[in-house]
Amino acid sequence: MPELIRVRPTKIELVKLKRRLSLAQRVQKIVKDRLSILTMEFLQTARDTSDAKRKLLDEFSELYKALSVAAGYHGYMALEKELIATEADLKTTAGSRNVAGVRIPSFELMVNAKSTIGYSLADTSSWLDRTAQLSEESLRAIVELAEFQRSFDLLAMEINRTKRITNALEYIVIPALQATISYLNMKFEERDREEKARLKRVKVLVAQG
Amino acid sequence: MQEPLQDEAKQSPHEKILQNCLRGELRVVNTGLPRSQRRLSDLLEEKYPHVICNDSSTHLFKKSELEYLASLLDTDERKALPLPMLIELGANQAEAAVLCEGKIEEKVVSKTLNMAVTCEARRIMIYRPQLALLRKKLKTTTIYVFSPKIVTETTRPPYNPFLSTPLDK
Repeated sequence: MPELIRVRPTKIELVKLKRRLSLAQRVQKIVKDRLSILTMEFLQTARDTSDAKRKLLDEFSELYKALSVAAGYHGYMALEKELIATEADLKTTAGSRNVAGVRIPSFELMVNAKSTIGYSLADTSSWLDRTAQLSEESLRAIVELAEFQRSFDLLAMEINRTKRITNALEYIVIPALQATISYLNMKFEERDREEKARLKRVKVLVAQG
Repeated sequence: MQEPLQDEAKQSPHEKILQNCLRGELRVVNTGLPRSQRRLSDLLEEKYPHVICNDSSTHLFKKSELEYLASLLDTDERKALPLPMLIELGANQAEAAVLCEGKIEEKVVSKTLNMAVTCEARRIMIYRPQLALLRKKLKTTTIYVFSPKIVTETTRPPYNPFLSTPLDK
């Protein structure tokens, strides 16, 4: 049974309560719509995160295989010597986007067109080229996964918060308003009936007198 | 006798907190909207393509998405496509509308969803599964708008206090 709101049983209060109920129902509609959009985005992000994780693991697996073959072919010392000059600064563009009121991070790996391979093509095999190519793809997958993972967390938190508001509206605010409105209506009807009975009694007394 | 509760602030603290939450919710919903849309051709030339939102934050576009859009359109169309594209959520939960200025958005949505769509009254109506697909492909180049219609288009008729009181029967 919802708790009644403490108000004076007057018509002005009834009008106010009805206005508040109407507002609460409209806000509930907005919040529910937002919740449905957030849920849709959350499910999509969950799928994307799962795919990105799988992709990253596959790429790492491929990369380690290629690296071990390259290391076996060249030898560790020679490979390290070749790879010393290949270190490059990793640049990512970080920003944010808004999804139904939630600020979600957005990362993108910046590809430098001028970047050189850094090792001698003449002294190395195609295994090393393959390793370099796979490591670049892995980096892109890592950045992608970071974005999805953070979006996933933020959306989950926002869904929890929005759900609490929806539940509060659905199970506390709106039922309490409806119950109070119904109580006031009953009170007014009762008062009306009393008034009618009193009038009838007065009429009888006047007729007798 | 109970104290008259004319002032809403004098009501229970629980209700007051909820009312503040609701006010905040209404404010939050559309803060992420861009102040103005920008053309695809302009964004393609920028190092960090972005727009400024109503809350002064920036909305960053992914270059990969811009390049995807550019691949769908020719040079003149790139100059005419406003970004981000606005997806309006109406009273009907099953549908959403992509707000459009002309045929370019229609072409983009049609090619992205791989199905024919039509623009009616400056809106392209799509269903939720298509919306999910569109958002999957165009994450940063589309943005949600919570239309004021959500608030007004309720199933109940507007409340008139002078018609519905029991004493008027």
